[in-house]
Amino acid sequence: MSDPGSTSAAAWVAEAAAVFAKDWRCEFRTRYALNTLGLFAFTTLVVVSLVLGPVGVAPGLATTVLPVILWLIVLFAVTAGLPRIFVAEEETHTATALRLAATPSALFAGKLLYGFTVVLALEALITPLFLAMVQLEARRPDLLVAALLAGGYGLATGSTLVASIVAQARGKSALFAVLLLPVLVPGLLFAVQLTRAAVGGEAPGVEVQMLLLYDGTLTVAGLMLFPTIWNP
Amino acid sequence: MTPEPRDPSLAFTDVRRRFGRLRVLTGVSGRVGAGEALLVSGPNGSGKSTLIRILAGLLAAEGGAVEYRLGSRVLDIAERRRAVGYAAPDLALYEELTTLENLEFFCRLRGAPTGRARELLERVDLPLDRLAGALSSGMRQRLRWAWALLGRPQLLLLDEPFQNLDPAGVEQGTELLSRHLDAGGLAVVANPGPLEIPRVRSRIDLGRGLGR
Repeated sequence: MSDPGSTSAAAWVAEAAAVFAKDWRCEFRTRYALNTLGLFAFTTLVVVSLVLGPVGVAPGLATTVLPVILWLIVLFAVTAGLPRIFVAEEETHTATALRLAATPSALFAGKLLYGFTVVLALEALITPLFLAMVQLEARRPDLLVAALLAGGYGLATGSTLVASIVAQARGKSALFAVLLLPVLVPGLLFAVQLTRAAVGGEAPGVEVQMLLLYDGTLTVAGLMLFPTIWNP
Repeated sequence: MTPEPRDPSLAFTDVRRRFGRLRVLTGVSGRVGAGEALLVSGPNGSGKSTLIRILAGLLAAEGGAVEYRLGSRVLDIAERRRAVGYAAPDLALYEELTTLENLEFFCRLRGAPTGRARELLERVDLPLDRLAGALSSGMRQRLRWAWALLGRPQLLLLDEPFQNLDPAGVEQGTELLSRHLDAGGLAVVANPGPLEIPRVRSRIDLGRGLGR
């Protein structure tokens, strides 16, 4: 048995990687998160397209309004699917084994990485469809990619942290939405601004730096708070 | 299979815990040393599982102290949590993974070689490629035994360890426990009724159960 008091950096990374791989393996077999997020996003996308299709959006408003709708679709899909990251561990009683075996911060990192890749997969699916359906062009694709990466990471980090808090509470779904929205609002505002710059072909302001700062702050907060949230 | 000899010991003093207004543990003390087993008995609702969860670091006690030593070093609660072997009814593994995938995953978390998973599954006579969700209740109990021994723990905390096991499984579990104790490990075993296990040096009877 290894010394229970020591966790080297390599062991920490190996633990996080094991959690990430386990979550994706379970996901490929159940397809719960992909189906939930994908169906929710696709349905919302179709509704938005049908509503906007016949009337369109006034030319001057397209770059202002449409990025907001894109991020709302991503946000609500994430809200529908990502609480499962920790709720499923509590409901199926696998959390006990995880508490006894995993280093809490490595567990958080593995779950965060899994959530981030789920969000990326969702964005990769719906963004091209959305742009095509509402006939919107991204004049600065590099900025759009930056917005999706940094904004998606913020969504995943906030969702993972809040999911860990609500997993042990009653009324999980309602509590998740109530706690999640204030955490995510700052990041979403910067992501929307950056997406507007991408579709408008404008030079970005401070949005990239602010998004990175927001992402970094949430990551550090998550790694520091999670051990206290996770254990009795 | 054998724990490393580091002269382990576990002592707990005046452990107390309540859930709301219900007092479950009202000052329980005990001690167990290397090569010894402590048997905790009592009817349903007497607090056996609560005590085992507190000793494992899964539940906070409201009062009292738990001290797990490896040699001269006292492990803190986070270290203790990762150092114990635990088998209890509230322990479940991933139903969508096979028995081997489950144990290999936890080997990676505990820094144990993944070959240990196959070795333990063969020892408890479980198929390697069966989904955990497709196991019978007795087979799940065998999987819990394998899981508890994964990190070669010095301290085994076993809550109703023979629940749902057939006679062969009971014999196998008893042998695993004997080997663990013979090698200098220690164990706390909770069971509602009398139990034939080796090297029991002390017993705690938690007395009254439901409705206390």
